[in-house]
Amino acid sequence: MSTVAHAQPAAEGAGPPQPPTEEQALGYACRGVTVSMPGPRGKRAILSALDFEVEPGEIVMVVGRSGTGKTTLLRVLGGLVPASAGTVLLGGQVVSGPPASAVTVFQDYAHALLPWRSVRRNVALGLEGRRDCSRVERDQRVARALEVVGLAARADDRPWRLSGGMQQRVQIARALALQPRVLLMDEPFGALDAMTKASLQDQLLEVHGRTATTIVFVTHDIDEAVYLGDRVVVIDGQPGSITQEIPVDLPRPRDQLATKERPEFLELRRRVYDAVGGVHGG
Amino acid sequence: MAARLRWLNLSGALTMITVVGAWQLAVDTGLVDLDYLPAPSEVAQAGASGLSSGELGSAAAHTLAVSLVAWLIALVVGVAAGVLIALWRPARVTLTASVEILRTLPVVAFVPIAVLIVGLSTTMEIAVAAWAAMWPILVNTRGGVDAVPARLHEVAAVFRMTALRRVRVVVLPAAAPLVLVGARLGLSFALIVTVVAEMIGNPAGLGYQIVRLQQALRPDEMFAAVVVIGLLGIGLNAALLALTTRVAPDMFEPGRRA
Repeated sequence: MSTVAHAQPAAEGAGPPQPPTEEQALGYACRGVTVSMPGPRGKRAILSALDFEVEPGEIVMVVGRSGTGKTTLLRVLGGLVPASAGTVLLGGQVVSGPPASAVTVFQDYAHALLPWRSVRRNVALGLEGRRDCSRVERDQRVARALEVVGLAARADDRPWRLSGGMQQRVQIARALALQPRVLLMDEPFGALDAMTKASLQDQLLEVHGRTATTIVFVTHDIDEAVYLGDRVVVIDGQPGSITQEIPVDLPRPRDQLATKERPEFLELRRRVYDAVGGVHGG
Repeated sequence: MAARLRWLNLSGALTMITVVGAWQLAVDTGLVDLDYLPAPSEVAQAGASGLSSGELGSAAAHTLAVSLVAWLIALVVGVAAGVLIALWRPARVTLTASVEILRTLPVVAFVPIAVLIVGLSTTMEIAVAAWAAMWPILVNTRGGVDAVPARLHEVAAVFRMTALRRVRVVVLPAAAPLVLVGARLGLSFALIVTVVAEMIGNPAGLGYQIVRLQQALRPDEMFAAVVVIGLLGIGLNAALLALTTRVAPDMFEPGRRA
């Protein structure tokens, strides 16, 4: 919690509370989503007949062993990979190409940021060239996003001068500046140390609490999945399919210590662990 | 490397001074006695009188102007074609083989052809020099664009950039270090080929001066013209580096991928 207070001096104190997002959050509906890609020996199925929904404003955590297609699923939701069969609907609209209302945050922040641009101009990237966003508004949204992730003081640095955790916060700020209705996060904290990870998790929950953005979050960290999620979706097999959906009814706001000490947390953790590890899980 | 040109490279300067001094000494002492090898002092004298008469200066201005125009044409065409071939599959499929063949043909072989087609003119010089300068720019731009991480293309896709914006905002800046390598190579090529075109084609500029002075048996002035060509090459390269580090310093910072 201390990190949140540190990141948010202006918003908590002087500034007016942020207006709720003017538009409603969006949800996903996936029907029979199958993805196959060309491999060395002909087409290889990566995901097979996925049926699932993501409620508006929900945090859905996708876990599974490596090679089960978690990242591919996120890329399908983000419109970066077309489904070979089945349909993906976002807010009732068929996803064909990256939707305007969703932003993907990648794991490899070092390659996702533009090294020749300052932190500020990296965060502005998604807002540039948009007719619906004036220069003044753009500057405001960028400044706000940088404040949310606690990087206002580093706005003029090049991203590669920042630590890994800070670089990932730049990428998150870049996503937040767009005020997306859907955040798609692909193991965003996977390469970070435990302390940085915990503080970014809390920042993410704090942002979610204020904006009710829909979040689909891929991770291989079971603690993270239970700590952040409203629901944990387990993918297993090759091709991957959903083997279990585990609702997480832990109270919010969550706390790194108190939440993780609750018996329900431990029980959920065990269930997810079994579901991921058990070959016949589900 | 480019940010601060070290004006005084002591050991490097010493080498040059030694060589020129040895040359001067060899001619003065009669150690080397060739009819048409002038001493450096004579070359300097010829250069000074050539400059004061305006002859050398106007020839240099012609060569410089042709090289620059040719290089600018090559830069525009080469970068555009390089980006197109790297990013657009139909262009890659249809053009790669032709590029590989054409860029290996010795450009000097084209000069007589260009003379036939365009005539003995400045246009011919520009055409041939631009042709030569285009290939290193095209090939390096293509290589630079090919090397842009796939992730950056996905970032551009997530932000729903149009193809043109993607090229301008993401692809070209990411490829800039290699584009610059191509631009520098292209600039040298433009100067070299301009001089060659003047020697065997259009009677103008420094290249023609050299041929004319050779036939007039004036080796001192000839050497002076060669020295001016060398200075042009060094000056153009330094100017290009200074310009790029000034206009877009972070584009070329060596540590930017750290």
